[in-house]
Amino acid sequence: MDINFSDADNQFRQEVKDYLENKYPKHVKEKQNNGEQLTKQDMIDYHKSLYEQGWAGYNWPVEYGGTGWSPTQIYIFQEELGYANTPTILPFGLNMVGPVIYTFGNEEQKKKFLPDILEFNTWWCQGYSEPGSGSDLASLKTKAVRDGDHYIVNGSKTWTTLAQNADWIFCLVRTETTQKKQEGISFLLIDMKTEGIEVKPIITIDGDHEVNSVFFTDVKVPAENLIGEEGKGWTYAKFLLAHERFGIAGVPNQKYSLKLLKERTKDFADDDLKKKIADYEIELLALEFTELRTLAALANGGHPGAESSIIKIKGTELQQRLTEMYVEAAGQYILPYEGPEGFNSNNTPASNVSDFSSQAVSRYLNFRKTSIYGGSNEIQKNIIAKAILGV
Amino acid sequence: MNLSYSDEQNMLREQVLKFCESDYTFDVREKIVESNYGHNPETWKQFADLGWLAVPFSEENGGFNFGPIELAVIFEEFGKALVAEPYLANVVMSGSVLESSSNELAKQTISKIIDGTTQVSVAFSEANNGYNFHDIETSIEDGKLNGVKTVVLNASFANSFLVYARNGDKPVIYLVDAKEAGVSVNSFSTVDGQNCGDVTFENVEVGESSIISHDNDASQAINAMLDLANLCICAEAVGGMTASYLKTVQYTKEREQFGQPISNFQVLQHKMVDMFMEAEVSKSLLFKAMLQLDGKDDEASKTISGLKAQIGKSSRQVGQAAVQLHGGMGVSDEMSIGHYLKRFTVIDALFGNRNYHLNNFSNL
Repeated sequence: MDINFSDADNQFRQEVKDYLENKYPKHVKEKQNNGEQLTKQDMIDYHKSLYEQGWAGYNWPVEYGGTGWSPTQIYIFQEELGYANTPTILPFGLNMVGPVIYTFGNEEQKKKFLPDILEFNTWWCQGYSEPGSGSDLASLKTKAVRDGDHYIVNGSKTWTTLAQNADWIFCLVRTETTQKKQEGISFLLIDMKTEGIEVKPIITIDGDHEVNSVFFTDVKVPAENLIGEEGKGWTYAKFLLAHERFGIAGVPNQKYSLKLLKERTKDFADDDLKKKIADYEIELLALEFTELRTLAALANGGHPGAESSIIKIKGTELQQRLTEMYVEAAGQYILPYEGPEGFNSNNTPASNVSDFSSQAVSRYLNFRKTSIYGGSNEIQKNIIAKAILGV
Repeated sequence: MNLSYSDEQNMLREQVLKFCESDYTFDVREKIVESNYGHNPETWKQFADLGWLAVPFSEENGGFNFGPIELAVIFEEFGKALVAEPYLANVVMSGSVLESSSNELAKQTISKIIDGTTQVSVAFSEANNGYNFHDIETSIEDGKLNGVKTVVLNASFANSFLVYARNGDKPVIYLVDAKEAGVSVNSFSTVDGQNCGDVTFENVEVGESSIISHDNDASQAINAMLDLANLCICAEAVGGMTASYLKTVQYTKEREQFGQPISNFQVLQHKMVDMFMEAEVSKSLLFKAMLQLDGKDDEASKTISGLKAQIGKSSRQVGQAAVQLHGGMGVSDEMSIGHYLKRFTVIDALFGNRNYHLNNFSNL
């Protein structure tokens, strides 16, 4: 056993640092550090920058244009991105549908979709949840009926993150009504410009427009957009969810936020808060090493399985605790409500200090989602109970 | 970075596991605990024959030159089997203090610990200093040692004591024979089936020749001992937590109520998942701490404080949940499950509890 990084790893870390320092889009960094909302173009810009650097497929195999990095390199890469307070790499293309396509798709699909995912020419969103199917995802009802060389899709998806920006959506659809509900599900790629698709915003309790409802009325989808076999969609969905859970804990970003919180509260005469921060920091170290242990298992030929559920549960609980501490530290200064647009320049409260304003409470409210999405934490516990404890 | 145990380390684990399964069942342990304060001379001799008493000592002192990783491996397995033998007091604590000294007396004492012919306890804690272990009143004046040491682990069986005292303002560690005139031991059994004692030194004559360590080296030796001892009992707690959740899962599968195994109930399943997760994240932090200590990292002490604080919280949760899910059987002394909770409670109290280490972590 050895906790140290090799010289090659350290050299690699320096390379990532140099990129973030010199090549990462400056306007994105600035907005991020000022706590300003990023535009769609900003988001495209930083993804394109990663692509130009050759790092967009940071966890993809080389043969599909990925970096082929070792788990340790991926860890270092993500750690440095977090330390530099960069916005999250959107997972929908790169971490979700991309791996599904290169694992289960056919050659034509790989050729058609993978390069644009890497280059961020297409913005993807995820069509999983439905109004009647949340934790019981396999009960989904959105129907795809085969009609010649097309499917006709009817139904609706919900909580679709950033669907307002998306060019494509990957959907779980029901192609057959079977005894076992998992067996009639298929994995379908749908162009968002197709006639019959309607996107309606859902405003969340933090006041932001991040998620949407997506409605499908007689939407005609070419049959060639079916991934793998009809009726095998549930297998691909589970594969995707295990990948999604990995890295969901955002440990490096949490480390960055923790550092800020400690700096800002260092003169507070509040021993209770200090102890809470210490307790949180210890748990974060434990989580970080849990991720490392999982990475080490991956490097030895394992794959992310039920253990990634621990990381999801603990990681999201910690993210939420961190946002609570920010609210606690901000005290009454959270009251003047900033909203997603930010304060008007001639109407800014005297007490406004970026993170320690209503932004703290917006983030706190927004982060309630983390224990719900990606398979709610209660569902994760069911997974561990079944897969690891065998009960 | 490499987080795999070496073949040698895996073999050591196998060996300890095998011993615990065949020679140290819960029934055997209970007999030892009831009759003799947790210590069985025959078991101790087995430890010596297996070479376990030599694990952390340098080769020049006749040891295997193993470090925190191997000790953690042993303690994790000891934790699963609730081993009560005074390995911590002798091999880890006295071992650490003696190994840090270069004098001949220390070397001789080490060789006797290794062959199992002597037992030594570090006498450092006092009645009024809480966890401020360097704030001591036991002192040496005109060649005479006076003071009372409390909660000395394994005091009942110690043939000699490493006494942390001060000479004027300067810290010093003496090796004092338990039979020396003026030394008296008042032993107690502990709640978890081991033993400790108050050791009183009244005008005990000590000479220069019995000094093991002095000045800064002495206080450093105590600090290093505390770090290593904390790491070991945390590893023990991780083993205990693992055993607790596994035994609980097994029990709930067998126990039937309302016409079905109670493991079918989701409320119990989620509680067991929580136990599992606490054991796993604690183990992760244990990895970090033992690797840092092994690599003499500057952050090691801080991480060990973090680990001790985490273990204090996690092991309490796991221990209590294990008792809860065993129902009435959980509070019955004949079942092993409650004994884990007792050991966790003692582990938290030893060498700085959760609160102490949370503050420590925050201030380091």
